Amino acid sequence: MKRVVSSIVGAVAAAAILAVSVGQAVTRAQAQQGHTMAAMTTSSTKASGLRSTLNTLFQEHIYLAAAATGAALGGRDAEFKAAAAALDANSVAISKAIGSVYGQGAEEAFLPLWRKHIGMVVDYTVGVATNDKAKQDKAVADLIGYTQDFGAFLQSANPNLPKSVVADLVKHHVVTLKEVIDAQASKDPAKAYTAVRTAAGHMQMIADPLAEAIVKQFPDKFSS
Amino acid sequence: MGERQSWRSAAAGACASVVAVALGLLVTLGESASTEQTVIIQTFQFKPTLTEVPAGTRVNFTNQDDITHTVTSGTPESPDGKFSHRLEGKGASAAVDLTKPGVYPYFCERHRSMRGEIRVK
Repeated sequence: MKRVVSSIVGAVAAAAILAVSVGQAVTRAQAQQGHTMAAMTTSSTKASGLRSTLNTLFQEHIYLAAAATGAALGGRDAEFKAAAAALDANSVAISKAIGSVYGQGAEEAFLPLWRKHIGMVVDYTVGVATNDKAKQDKAVADLIGYTQDFGAFLQSANPNLPKSVVADLVKHHVVTLKEVIDAQASKDPAKAYTAVRTAAGHMQMIADPLAEAIVKQFPDKFSS
Repeated sequence: MGERQSWRSAAAGACASVVAVALGLLVTLGESASTEQTVIIQTFQFKPTLTEVPAGTRVNFTNQDDITHTVTSGTPESPDGKFSHRLEGKGASAAVDLTKPGVYPYFCERHRSMRGEIRVK
């Protein structure tokens, strides 16, 4: 009886050891497989880094622009200056992102072009604040004209970005930002913040195709 | 004696002609190599931004952007009226002949941050 029990205990122990061994082996194999899969499915690629950087910068552009126009329309001068300074720092960061792909010459050419549309938005805001319809109309016309310049710049830098498509996307940016300013001027915070979210969300329509076009243009640079 | 002099004179004349033709050819070749310079306009930049050329050079500007640019002498703050050309769209070009030594800054009237400079020696 003792021998039988001893045999059973020995068999159970052996099975247990085998089970543990197999379990460890399976766990190691699963871990290795998981590691391989993780390496294959990581979100930390250069391409995704570019895409998230552009999205972050362009959305930040909207939030800071809205902060600046809101402060200007509300007559909060110190806040306006601080927001405008932060907005310009964002402009510099966007230019550097462009420069990191297309070189310093492109960065230096892009920054004044980008700043130009901010000046036009300021003109529109001043027109709204002073009820100067002619100034508002001129600023809108300038902004619409600007979309062609911006489209030409990006098309020249990257043939995967057709001028007319970029111009239309930037026109939509102008329209959504105008709605933010108009809502701020009408002192309708709910409408203003809804418009801010819409305008910020739209920037993905610019950032995503820009990132995609850059990766397509320089596949080797963004292969990992 | 007179015949020998005449032969010498003819030989000297022939040599002088050959030398003159050779020199002329060299001068012509030299001129054609140094009197043309190209500046392209691309991604809202004049390339090269700074150009050094000898006097008498023709500088050709070619627009590679799909938008109108100008090549206007001087600076945005102070255009000097020496030349101004409107290059309407991709492929448009214009030439500027620079005969006098000096420094010729230029810019684009539509995009005033676009600037270049030609130094004529």
